[in-house]
Amino acid sequence: MNETILEARNLIKKFGDLTAVNDVNLAIQKGEVFGLLGPNGAGKTTIISMITGLLKPTSGQITVDGLDLQTEPYAVKAKLGLVPQELALYPTLSARDNLAFFGSIYGLGGKQLQERVDAMLAMVELTERANEAVETYSGGMKRRVNIAAGLLHQPKVLFLDEPTVGVDPQSRNAIFEAVEALNRAGMTVIYTTHYMEEAQRLCHRVAIIDEGQIIALDTPSTLISSLGGGILVLGLEDPEAGAGLGKVQTVVDRVMELPAVKSMTRDDGHVKIETHRFQEALMGILDITNQLDVRITSMEKWEPNLESVFLHMTGKKLRE
Amino acid sequence: MNVLNIPTALCVARKDIKIFLKERGTLLYLFVVPIVFILAFSGVSGVESAPKKEAITLPVVNLDSGSEESQTLLDALNQDGSIQCELYDEAKAGALLEKGAIKRVLTIPANYGSDLQSGHAVTLHLANASDASFTKSEAVHRVVTGVAADLSLQSQLISSFRQMSDMQAMISPEEQAFTTEIIIEQAQSQFERSRTEPLLGLVESWPEHLQEKDEQETNPLNVYIPGFTVLFIFLTAQTTAQSLYEEKKMGSFRRLLAAPISKPTILLGKVVPNFITGLTQIIVLFGTGVLITPLLGLDSMTLGNDPLALVVVSLTILLCSTGLGVLISGIARTEAQISGVSQVVLWIFGFAAIWMDQLGSISGLDVISQLIPHTWANGAFLDLFVRGQGLADIVPSVLVLLGFTLAFFAIGLWRFDYR
Repeated sequence: MNETILEARNLIKKFGDLTAVNDVNLAIQKGEVFGLLGPNGAGKTTIISMITGLLKPTSGQITVDGLDLQTEPYAVKAKLGLVPQELALYPTLSARDNLAFFGSIYGLGGKQLQERVDAMLAMVELTERANEAVETYSGGMKRRVNIAAGLLHQPKVLFLDEPTVGVDPQSRNAIFEAVEALNRAGMTVIYTTHYMEEAQRLCHRVAIIDEGQIIALDTPSTLISSLGGGILVLGLEDPEAGAGLGKVQTVVDRVMELPAVKSMTRDDGHVKIETHRFQEALMGILDITNQLDVRITSMEKWEPNLESVFLHMTGKKLRE
Repeated sequence: MNVLNIPTALCVARKDIKIFLKERGTLLYLFVVPIVFILAFSGVSGVESAPKKEAITLPVVNLDSGSEESQTLLDALNQDGSIQCELYDEAKAGALLEKGAIKRVLTIPANYGSDLQSGHAVTLHLANASDASFTKSEAVHRVVTGVAADLSLQSQLISSFRQMSDMQAMISPEEQAFTTEIIIEQAQSQFERSRTEPLLGLVESWPEHLQEKDEQETNPLNVYIPGFTVLFIFLTAQTTAQSLYEEKKMGSFRRLLAAPISKPTILLGKVVPNFITGLTQIIVLFGTGVLITPLLGLDSMTLGNDPLALVVVSLTILLCSTGLGVLISGIARTEAQISGVSQVVLWIFGFAAIWMDQLGSISGLDVISQLIPHTWANGAFLDLFVRGQGLADIVPSVLVLLGFTLAFFAIGLWRFDYR
C-alpha cells in the first residue's frame, strides 16, 4: 500500500462567508480503507462531494490515478464509485432495473451489463428478490442495493458515505463484510462515518475532521495509543472555600509530577488528566487529594478509542 | 466525452418512462382525465351553443337612423327573438370590430328608407371579426336574410299596389282597370320578383384571410379537444419538475452527477419523457376525437387541411411545455411549489386559454391572455382546425411559442440548482 491513488491538495470550499472545508490535504494509498471520521456537519460529505466532482472546490487540486479532476473530469469520475448517504434508488423499480440503469450511465451495456448486474445481486445476496420493487425491501436490503449500485462499473476507488445510517445490526455486519471483501479484492475504499467503532474495525487509516479541517490523520491504533492509558476527568472542590482556593492548584501541581501522568489541563473546575498508565495514575491522584483534603466531586474515565481521541482533541463528542 | 451524450440521455429517459408507466395515477391524470373533460365539455357545449336558445347581441350601425323603414328593419330583427340589436356609432363599431371586442356589425346604409320607397335595391352589410364564431355568424346571417326577404316582399307589394292605385286614379271610376285576376297576377309577379330580385339584400364579409372559410358549423370537439390537449400537455411540465425534484430528494441526482456524464446530458434525459408523454397525449386525444367520438354518436373532429402545420404546431407546443418543466424545476424550491402552485397555475392558464374566445371581450383579459403560452398554443390549433388556416397563417403563433420556449429554457437553466 505505498502507491497513491487519490490525492487532494490544499482543498478549500467556501459557501459565502462560511468555510466548510479548510485546507485539506489527503493522500490515499491504493488498496487501503481510509476513514473520514467526524461529527455531522464536520465537512466529510463536502470533501467527498469535491473529490467525486459533485462540488467544485473554491481552490485546491484533486488527482485520481494520476488524472486531474479539473481537466479530465469524466475520466476521473469513471474511476470512482459513489454510494451516497441517502438511499439513492428508484423505489418503484426493481433492484435489477436500478442496477441496470446505474450501470448503463457508466457506459455498460448488453451482456457485460447483465453479467455485472447478476454479479452485484449475488454479492449483496438479493438474486432471489431481484425483480421485486425496491420499495418492498427492508432498510438493510435497500442499503445493500445502494452499495451494489456504486460497484457496477468496478471503480478503482469506492466512496461510502455513512453507509450504515439507519441500518439494523445484521445488515450493518453484512455491509462491514462486504467492505472487507471488496478491500481484500484490492479495491480502495474511502469510508465516512461518525461511528468510531466502524472506523476502528474497517479502516487502515483515519482522518479525524472537525469544522472543515483534518485535526489528526493516522492509523486508528496510533491515534488511540496517543491517549496512553486513558483520560481521567475529575471534578475537584476545596472544602475551605475562599481561603483554601489554592489547594486545587496544589493538587494539580503535584499530580503533574506523577510518572504515570502524561499531561493535564484545567477547565471550569474540571481537571483532565491524560495518563501513561491509568491505574497507577489514579492511585497517586487519590493519595494527593486525601493528603490535601480536597474533595473529588466527579470522576469520569475516557477509554482510549477514537471517540476519546476526538473528545480529547476537540472537547466535543462525535455524535453531538 | 461529448458534452451531450445522446445514448446516455436516452438511458435516463428510458428509466424515467419506466417509472412513469408504473405510476397509474399519473397515467390516469394525463390521459384519461382529459378525455373525460373533453367529452363532458363537448356535451355541455352542444346544448349551450345552440344558436336559437338565446338572443345573439348584434351591433348595428344605422346610417339612416331617421327613416321609418330602418326602424321597421330593426324592430323586425328584434322581433325574431334570435337577435338583440344594439346601436353603435360607425367609427366606434369599426374600431371595436378591428380589436375583436365585438365579433360582427350589421350596417344599414344611408338612404335606406328613401331607396326602398323608390323601389331601388338596398344592400345591408354584415362584417365579421376574424375570430368570430362561425356558428353565431351563420345564425345572424340567416335571421337578417329572412327578415330582409320579408321586408323586400312587403315593400315591393306595397309599392306595386300604390302604382295600381295611382293608375286607377287616372281613369274614370266607371272603368275597372284592375280586376281581381289582375291584382292576384300582380301580387304573384311581385312575390316572384322579391325572390329573384330582392329589394333588400345582405352582403356578408369576413377578413381577407378567412374568405375561403369552411361553411360547416363549428364542432365543439374541434374547440375542446385542442383546448384540453394544450392544458394537459402543459401539465406534463409539472411532471418533469416533480421528477427532477424527486431525483434530488432521493439523492439519485448526486449519483447521476457523480457519473461520467455531463449536466446537459442528464437534463436532456430528464426532459425527453416530457416530450414523449406530450406527443402521446396529442396522438391519444386527437385520435379519440377523430376515431372514438363518432362511435359515441358525436361528430368526428377535423384536423384541418395542413398536416405539416399540425406537426409544426404540435412539436412547438411540446418544446414549450418541456421548457416550462425546466423553468419550474429551476425556480421552484419546495415540493409544494412544484406540485401545488405550479399545478394550480397551469390549470388556470389552460382553462383561460380554452375560454378566451368568450372572455376576450372583457377588458384587459385579452391582453393578459397574450402573456401565457397556452393562449398561443390553443389559438394555433384553432386556426388549423376551426378556421381552416395553413402553415403560413400560424407562423406568428409558432414564433411566439418558440420565444416562450427559449425564455423558459434560459431562465430555468440559469436558475437550476444542481446540488
